[in-house]
Amino acid sequence: MELLITGGSASGKSQVAEAAAAALPGPRFYIATMRPWDDECRARIEKHRRQRAGLGFATVEHYGDLRRLDLPARGTALLECMSNLTANVLFGPDRPADPFAAVTAGLERLRAQCAHLVVVTNEVFSDGVAYDRETTAYLDLLAALNGWMGRRFDTVAEVVCGIPIVQKGALP
Amino acid sequence: MILIVGGYAAGKRAYARDVLGYRDEDMSRDVRSPAPVLYGLEDAPDTPLADLLRKDVVICQEVGAGLVPVDAGERARREAVGRLCIALAREADRVVRVVCGVGMVIKG
Repeated sequence: MELLITGGSASGKSQVAEAAAAALPGPRFYIATMRPWDDECRARIEKHRRQRAGLGFATVEHYGDLRRLDLPARGTALLECMSNLTANVLFGPDRPADPFAAVTAGLERLRAQCAHLVVVTNEVFSDGVAYDRETTAYLDLLAALNGWMGRRFDTVAEVVCGIPIVQKGALP
Repeated sequence: MILIVGGYAAGKRAYARDVLGYRDEDMSRDVRSPAPVLYGLEDAPDTPLADLLRKDVVICQEVGAGLVPVDAGERARREAVGRLCIALAREADRVVRVVCGVGMVIKG
């Protein structure tokens, strides 16, 4: 099955996604998309590592194009998170000509490699701020990707205060 | 304790008034006040959890659903508000999320 877990910053979406992935059969792969740019990123990465310790995930670091990701075995993959990956693709050194087509092709390739896929994305659309053109392009791309996944995936849940609100399907 | 969350001006205090039956004078932004309803928690994310659990109702704005702020202090505040709300929701008897003035009970 395919699950899309969304929520704002510090909404508890990671824990909900990890619990869902842990309820699905292994082997389990955690696809980490955050580049360790600075101490704040490193601290975040470390916090997430501690949080999922003991849940049986092998960590796969992959920052950019999902079309180049090979998982070592077929199982359950947890991709965290689409908002980082989208920023890496759009603002990274190898920006594809069609970022939406590149990411969705990467997602399809990833999906074909695993039995179950859990993707964490981010609600970044509700601060009412009008951003510059580049940032708006990022928001549009992430929203389009969220919509693409939401239409295709079995389950969509928004996490609020650590509580999943299931919009579509069911959590495992 | 009932936790009410929602976006800016979503109708959180109106929910406490119209659905839960509290009056305006029952509500305060000051956690030290004897008022049973505390609102504006998003401005005081360092409030001790124990003090909040003594309230009947705690109202907090959802502040995490935008782009990550450039300012480090703002990022830290958002994170603190989110984490505090997760802890509160875990302890709460009921959690209500208000959208367009309509409350959805998401726990309890």
